[in-house]
Amino acid sequence: MAIGWYLAVSALIFTIGAAGVMTRRNPLVVLLCLELMLNAANLALIAFSRMYGNGDGQIFAIIVLVVAACEVTVGLGVIVAMARRNVPIDVDELRELHG
Amino acid sequence: MQTFAWLILALPLAGSLITALGYKLWPGRLPGVIGTVAIAAAFVCTVLTLIKLQDLDPEHRQVLFVGWDYAATFGVDAEISILIDPLSLFMALVVTGVSTLIHLYSISYMWSDKGYARFFSYLNFFVVSMLVLVLAGNFLLLIVGWAFVGAASYLLISFWYRRTTATRAGIKAFVINVVGDIGLILGTYFIFRNSGTLDFFGTFQQAGSLPEGDLTAGCILLLVGAFAKSAQIPLHTWLPDAMEGPTPVSALIHAATMVTAGVYLIARMWPLFEHAPAAADVGAVIGAITLLVAATIGLVVTDLKRVIAYSTMSQIGYMIMAVSAGAYAAGLFHLMTHAFFKALLFMAAGSVIAAMAGEQNLDRMGGFRKAMPFTFACFVIGGLSLSGVPPFSGFFSKDEIIALMGERGGWHWILFVAGYVGSFITAVYTWRMIFRAFWGEPVAEALELQRGHLHHAEVHRNPATGEEEDTDVGFPGSEHHIAEREWPMKGAMIVLAVGATALGVLQLPFHTTDVVDNFLEPTFRGSKYFGALDPSDGFTTIGLVIGAVLGVAGIAIAYRIWVQKPGTSARVQARFAGLHRLFANKWYFDDLIDVVVVRPFGWFGRFGQQTFERVFVQGTLVGGTTSIVRAGSAAVRAMQSGLLRAYAALLVLGALVVVFYFLAQS
Amino acid sequence: MTIHLSLLLWLPTIAGLIGALLGRRQAGGVALVGAALALAYAIVAVTRFKSGGGLQFVTDEPWISALGTRWKLGADGLNLFLVLLTTVSFTASTAWAARKGGYDRPRVFFFWMGLAHSAVLGALLAQDLLLFTVFFDLMLVPFLFLTGMFGGEDRVRAVVRLFIYTLVGSLLMLAAAIAFAVLAAGDQPISFVFSDLAARGPIANGSQNWIFLCFAAAFLIKMPAFPFQGWMPDGYLNMPLPVLAVFSGVLSKVAAYGFLKICLPFFPHASAHFQTLVLLIALASILYGSAMAFTTTNTRLVLGYSSVAQLGFIVLGIFSLRPEGAQGALLQAVNHGLVVVPAFFIVGLLAARAGSDDLRDMGAGALRAPVLAALFLVVALATLAMPGSSNFAGEFLILLGVFRAKIVIAIVAFAGVAMASVYMLRMFIRAVHNPAGAGMESLELSAGDGLILVPLVLTIVALALYPQVALVRSERAVGAAVAAVGTGPVQSATAARLAESGGAP
Repeated sequence: MAIGWYLAVSALIFTIGAAGVMTRRNPLVVLLCLELMLNAANLALIAFSRMYGNGDGQIFAIIVLVVAACEVTVGLGVIVAMARRNVPIDVDELRELHG
Repeated sequence: MQTFAWLILALPLAGSLITALGYKLWPGRLPGVIGTVAIAAAFVCTVLTLIKLQDLDPEHRQVLFVGWDYAATFGVDAEISILIDPLSLFMALVVTGVSTLIHLYSISYMWSDKGYARFFSYLNFFVVSMLVLVLAGNFLLLIVGWAFVGAASYLLISFWYRRTTATRAGIKAFVINVVGDIGLILGTYFIFRNSGTLDFFGTFQQAGSLPEGDLTAGCILLLVGAFAKSAQIPLHTWLPDAMEGPTPVSALIHAATMVTAGVYLIARMWPLFEHAPAAADVGAVIGAITLLVAATIGLVVTDLKRVIAYSTMSQIGYMIMAVSAGAYAAGLFHLMTHAFFKALLFMAAGSVIAAMAGEQNLDRMGGFRKAMPFTFACFVIGGLSLSGVPPFSGFFSKDEIIALMGERGGWHWILFVAGYVGSFITAVYTWRMIFRAFWGEPVAEALELQRGHLHHAEVHRNPATGEEEDTDVGFPGSEHHIAEREWPMKGAMIVLAVGATALGVLQLPFHTTDVVDNFLEPTFRGSKYFGALDPSDGFTTIGLVIGAVLGVAGIAIAYRIWVQKPGTSARVQARFAGLHRLFANKWYFDDLIDVVVVRPFGWFGRFGQQTFERVFVQGTLVGGTTSIVRAGSAAVRAMQSGLLRAYAALLVLGALVVVFYFLAQS
Repeated sequence: MTIHLSLLLWLPTIAGLIGALLGRRQAGGVALVGAALALAYAIVAVTRFKSGGGLQFVTDEPWISALGTRWKLGADGLNLFLVLLTTVSFTASTAWAARKGGYDRPRVFFFWMGLAHSAVLGALLAQDLLLFTVFFDLMLVPFLFLTGMFGGEDRVRAVVRLFIYTLVGSLLMLAAAIAFAVLAAGDQPISFVFSDLAARGPIANGSQNWIFLCFAAAFLIKMPAFPFQGWMPDGYLNMPLPVLAVFSGVLSKVAAYGFLKICLPFFPHASAHFQTLVLLIALASILYGSAMAFTTTNTRLVLGYSSVAQLGFIVLGIFSLRPEGAQGALLQAVNHGLVVVPAFFIVGLLAARAGSDDLRDMGAGALRAPVLAALFLVVALATLAMPGSSNFAGEFLILLGVFRAKIVIAIVAFAGVAMASVYMLRMFIRAVHNPAGAGMESLELSAGDGLILVPLVLTIVALALYPQVALVRSERAVGAAVAAVGTGPVQSATAARLAESGGAP
């Protein structure tokens, strides 16, 4: 099967994820969308790895998985902590760091 | 000879440092004694150097001693070198001689002043400076001496530094003298750029080959220096104000020595001036104008010291006229006799002022003849010499100058006439001063003194403004000293009085004696005028007679106006009100300088301070730069919205731009 | 013994660091020892310097070889006496700060002083363009902190202005330095070392012009020259006194040095091309600085504006493009540093006695303090370049150079000489003469203050008697720097004049 289809799916998923990050205000959903983008990248990496018959891409994908797991853990932890302190769960409200 | 020559400079310097550094240690009058001894020793060294110099052949009586390289680089041969020749020693003799006497006088005169040690330190410093000036062997050192005497003069004018009148007079004198320094420096540049050497001999040797334009410009600029230092029009306004200084200072600096530096300069530069006749003529004319203008002001001034100050200006006008017109020996001879009689007059005036407890106004004086016989005698001797009455020294020296002006002929006849007119006015104002101070009804202070008690003011006041003063440092001391009661003052005045009377014998008319001429001859070897200007016997006789008659007539008129018929002066004043106003306002020179120089500079400074700096520099430049930086940072700051989704959008946007860029490339 | 300039350079910083580590009480003392050791080392270097010997005591180590820049230090006639001046000024100022104390974080203060000292020495000693640029910018950092942490009321404003102004200059200079090295390299590997740049010869005239302008802007801002003096009043009013003394005494001289070291030899065409422009800027600085100095009543600003005027004279001398003018400028740079440091100390003492910096609150300061007044008098007369002072020797040579190059500018510049006498005497009279001000208390100099001031004043007097000591050592280097312009394509007339007056000793 041509690589084009894999990449098309990957691009589609990536776009859905990016759109989600930009439009959704709930940090939980934003995190989910981020996961989508990462996995889109993974899909592309593995597809290329298959095409070239080289394991490097798969190793990259595994590393991305690990990083994604860490990131989600920290992200969820932060969100839980916010919820406990009654901080509004809305990324637009969280802008104390503006210049 | 070299050792003695350097000692002439070193001794007063040592005196200055010793009196200054030990200002807390020296008891009583010791600082005065140290100062006087230092100058006296310098005088002895000068005499010894002179003796050694006279041992040499007349052709070799110009010796240069080089000390060390000062700022010699890239063809600028700036060294510390001193020149010993008859002219420099002549000046050194006058300076150290008169200085010794004035130091002696000051030991008593300044005694009660709280700044006693400081006074002698300054005074010694002045003598060093003056000696550097006259002994300098090159232009650079001459400029150094020139400026040093200006600084010493400033310090001594502002000696009573808590008086605003004194500090203002001091800064005025200093700044005008700096203008003179600048003239001297620029003149030096004009000459140096062609001659390539700062050394006097090196320059003089090339005098004939220097381009005429530069030489004339250079000489006129040197004259600016001479005018500023010697109080010639239009740079003279500092001298009358300089009378704010203590009286011995007026005697030493503003009569006998420093103000004659301009005369010395022109005489020293004779090879240059003889090749730049236009510049020499400028000097002669300005000298003549000054001698007349100053004399007329002297007629109406009522401050005792200022009368003598204007008289000094006027007499220096004679000297400048003389040396500019080639009558070198006559000018220098007058310089010497003037040093004696003018110092004597100032000392006597100091004694009178002391008797008046600091009061200097002639209107308040009168009848001191009986109370102060010694001072009176000195005043009369000085006055007769100044008025040019035979056989006093001033008679011979002044008449020699005027006769030589006539001998030059041509338009110099105008100078000849101006000289005699000035001589007549001189006699009038001198004796106006003497008659008003010593004749008439004795004032209270004079009567008190006749009873044996020296008047002391209850409250000390500034004679110029009437402000109250204490007697601590920075103001005059509590006591006053008159010549009758203090032997150092008396001794100094006796020596000067003898000199003022008898110095004429050095250079009597008809070549009876030619001491000054013969002595100075080696310096002026090769001059067009020196020795060549020689009035005939008949002409000399006529000149002498006119001079004597004018002097006596002036005295007689003064006697008629101020003694026989008091009140005449008021009538004359009313009759010539316009003229009187012109004289009393000093020909409006102060106002002119104020309008032309002082105010524009002040305006420029205030404009800079209040308008330019605030609006343009702080507003436009600083404000502009900071607001550009502020605007830039504000733009960057606005992007940091804190909105997560905005950041994400930017990120995506950036990625898209990159992607499209590569798509477009491929 | 060989002279290690790296040691000289880092001594003050190391001392500052050790002092800071030892503790609050020791910081000042150790920093002073470090500065004094640097001074002693600099004196040794001066005595061992060979007058006609070119670049000496060279340290040449690889630094960042990829960039073609080396850790190359050396002393020649141009920087020798400026190095001495730097160590003298910093030693005096550190001593003054250590004696006066009163800084709430002395360890930080003295560390920054040490670093500032090293940075200035580095800029002066550097024989590599990039190294020079780095040190030139590094100089600024300690002063920002010293002003920002220990300054007067408006210190933040002062720091912001100082920073923005000098940063603009520094960035221009950095860009120009890189551009110059790249252009000079051509096909060869890039190098910032001065001797390599000199060997590669001048770059194209067009590039020279804009690179010269960038350097000139940096130097003129640092001085400051008219019209770049906008940061000066706030800076001078708010810096702590010892910091101000070195800032005014030394930093501006690095800028003047930069002109001689970099602009003249490397951009001969541009130097000749912009000669009139720079001379006019210098002339404007002289007149404007003088006029401001005699109208302001703040003593610090009088000295500040007088520095603007004096730096104008220095630039005038350099851009006379005549060897005697440049010699005078270099001498004057040393002189001005030597007089301005004690001048600031004296003004500080008087301000402490009057309770204000303002001349209107002072008066009769000499009444019970003849020694202080006498020292002030010597410093004031030297500042106004009275003949007989070393400042006069400098000014005489400067103006002679300008007189030979552009006679009209020289004549106008003489107005600055007259004005200098007005503003300095005005300050002297209104501070220590005249009737006493309301809060003025006339107190004699204390022994400790005297111990710092008297040697400084004696140095002024000594140099006044024998300025030749500096001139003879700088003659060769100055001659070379100016001759570079003379051989340029435009100013062949200068070369002719140079040869005529015997350009080299």
